[in-house]
Amino acid sequence: MSKKLGTNHVWKHALAISLVLFTAFPIYVVIVTSFDPTGGISTNSLLPVKFSFDNYTLLFTDPRVPYWAWMKNSFIIATATAVTSVAIGAAAAFAFSRLRFKGRKVGLKALLLIQVFPSFLSLSAIYVMMEQVFLITPTFGLGSIWGLYLIYIGGSLGVNVWLLKGFLDSIPLELDESARLDGASVPQVFWLIFLPLAAPVLAVIGVLSFIGTFNEFVLASLFLQDVENRTVAVGLQQFVGGQYVDTWGPFAAGSIIASVPLVIIFLSMQRFIIGGLTAGATKG
Amino acid sequence: MFYKLVGLRGPLALFLKLGILGGADAFMIWLISAAINKSSFIIAGVVTAALVFINYSFITKGSIPLKFLAVGLVFFSIFVVTPTGYTILMSTYNFKTGNEIAKAAAINELINNGIVSDSEGTAYDLFLGKTSNGNYAGILENQVTKEVLYADEKGVRPVGDSEISRDISGYITGADGIKTLTDEEFANEDAVITALRFPLGDGSYAAPQGSNVAARLIQSVVYDPVTDQLENKELGITYVDNGNGNFVVKDDPSTRLEPGWRTYSGFDNFRSLFLDEKLRNPFIKVFIWTIAFAFLSVGTTFAVGMALALALEAPIKFRRFYRGFLILPYAIPSFMSILIWRGLFNKEFGAINTLLGLDIAWFDSPWLARFAVLLVNLWLGFPYMYLIGSGALQSIPKELEEAASIDGASEKQTFYTIKLPLLLQILGPLLIASFAFNFNNFNIIYLLTGGGPTNAIDGEVAGATDILISYAYKTAFGSNFQDLGLSSAISMVMFVIVGTMSMYTLKKSKIMDTL
Repeated sequence: MSKKLGTNHVWKHALAISLVLFTAFPIYVVIVTSFDPTGGISTNSLLPVKFSFDNYTLLFTDPRVPYWAWMKNSFIIATATAVTSVAIGAAAAFAFSRLRFKGRKVGLKALLLIQVFPSFLSLSAIYVMMEQVFLITPTFGLGSIWGLYLIYIGGSLGVNVWLLKGFLDSIPLELDESARLDGASVPQVFWLIFLPLAAPVLAVIGVLSFIGTFNEFVLASLFLQDVENRTVAVGLQQFVGGQYVDTWGPFAAGSIIASVPLVIIFLSMQRFIIGGLTAGATKG
Repeated sequence: MFYKLVGLRGPLALFLKLGILGGADAFMIWLISAAINKSSFIIAGVVTAALVFINYSFITKGSIPLKFLAVGLVFFSIFVVTPTGYTILMSTYNFKTGNEIAKAAAINELINNGIVSDSEGTAYDLFLGKTSNGNYAGILENQVTKEVLYADEKGVRPVGDSEISRDISGYITGADGIKTLTDEEFANEDAVITALRFPLGDGSYAAPQGSNVAARLIQSVVYDPVTDQLENKELGITYVDNGNGNFVVKDDPSTRLEPGWRTYSGFDNFRSLFLDEKLRNPFIKVFIWTIAFAFLSVGTTFAVGMALALALEAPIKFRRFYRGFLILPYAIPSFMSILIWRGLFNKEFGAINTLLGLDIAWFDSPWLARFAVLLVNLWLGFPYMYLIGSGALQSIPKELEEAASIDGASEKQTFYTIKLPLLLQILGPLLIASFAFNFNNFNIIYLLTGGGPTNAIDGEVAGATDILISYAYKTAFGSNFQDLGLSSAISMVMFVIVGTMSMYTLKKSKIMDTL
């Protein structure tokens, strides 16, 4: 019996190990490249030949590469977007899940449909709009991270309501009914019953929104023209955007530094995130 | 009783509520006044509407749901609904390179382009200066007839020799009532000077070609607003509005004048997308690849992710390590991984060629590029499938498996006949969502291959790995030719496909029943 178990395990390890190699390959190359002072991406051999921190120091010393500013921008905009969109999403999901009002079903369906519209083609419309806003107040217009933030949270209603509603529906109605009988108002049900219960899910949605914003590239590259105002995604892309073949070293170093906090956030929230991802599935 | 005492009803809560609302109001009012100052009335109007709406929903006792939705709805309408509406509207417009401006601007430009030098090439020596009230004026001397004229933007009149002074070589260097331009004025107002038109009284103009020469220009094209026709008097041709954003020769509608203007064109964009071979063939090619790409992406990631979920279902050695390490691709920012993979596939210095000892230009061959896209998407996507797959595995009741094995089913049989159908049923909605996601997966295409390889010699826009969304993007924002109308039509087609899928999934998964 135990022997049979052993052979059974062979394919499992074989699969897992080959996937580990597959996963590790680009990560390994990027680490090696980040320490390679020549700047190429594995020019001659896959084994590290030289070792230096040149690429890392470049990120923090070269005035043409305001890496800290990029990181700061990315974190500010991703945090602000995550917090705001969770707040908007939570309130809306609560209304859609718990309150009965005219146009509720239609509203939910409309949200979903508009959300799947490939709306980033309306880039030009948004661009013109933000150009106008810039004339009024540069802080929130084209080229500023706060203008980009406004656009990001514009979409948050549609994305999060459906995710959150699924979870809310699983909270027994009796809970709020009994609270209402005890004299709680609707806002009290929201703040005192729903929010504490939904906190883990809200955290997951916040993290997913944070990661999504951190990753966003198209809008950010169109909107943030000033080098100082860029996010990490846009800033780093310029390194390998075609003209400079030899700047893979700094790019690799920058990627690693930017990835570490995200990987840590993700891994520490892993249990909740997986729960959040599968919540929709297991209920279906 | 409890709820009477706790929060939200006390004076502090009221204070906070009013404080936040008041702050938001103050900000919006400031925005409105700033917008009015800059005479941006549309923005002022939109913000005013938002202000009224938010205050109405928070202050009145009426609708409680509205209080929870108001802020989200405002942002959603401004930044999602409006641009979406714009795209839908643009899909019915002829709006492309050459047809971008409004009709009035196009007519203006055509009239300006219709100013040509006369056939004899009449030229004038020019003395240019300013009158005492700062307007441009000059003395023109016809180089052939030696007729001397005083000219300003109102017209010309003959001048006598007494009013002007000349240097030794006979050039006019001064005139009564005209101040010589300083060098500085001349340098700064170059554009103004070359745009000057001194009417000669017979429908033609004298236009400065520099500081001391002017040429006679004829307004050959005139617009008649009554008949809505352009006429080229030099050539004797009449142009009519073809109803599709261009003036065309009356007797030969295929000869168009540039520029045209943007105009409503009904379903023309859709018609040409489906009927015009030059557009239909690349569209169909891209469409097929989009479906194949989305399907294969879901298929490969699901197969690998599910296999991994099965392998790690029961405890085996190193399971924790495998689990932690193998979800890394999901945790690393994807734009970085995609760019890194692009470097790995590079022909000269890429690690893949180095590792395999090859010299392949991966992104120059359509099939290799497609393979690369799928491989990278597998790398990015299998951890997600593993995560939802292992979640779903746990939710399958163990009794089912036991019952099957008691009935004598082998492990394989149990998997294919019991587990897999159940898994697909559980994961169905997520798989369809994943399909929809990949259907619109712009980043991987744009950052990895840029849609290429493209057969640039034939002037094709669509590359071998372009999916609909990257194709639409290129169509709208391409470097040489931009067609926002067609691009919006492509978006509409995508919307119909993905929207239908989403609605179907909703119906199938019965979520709507429990609404």
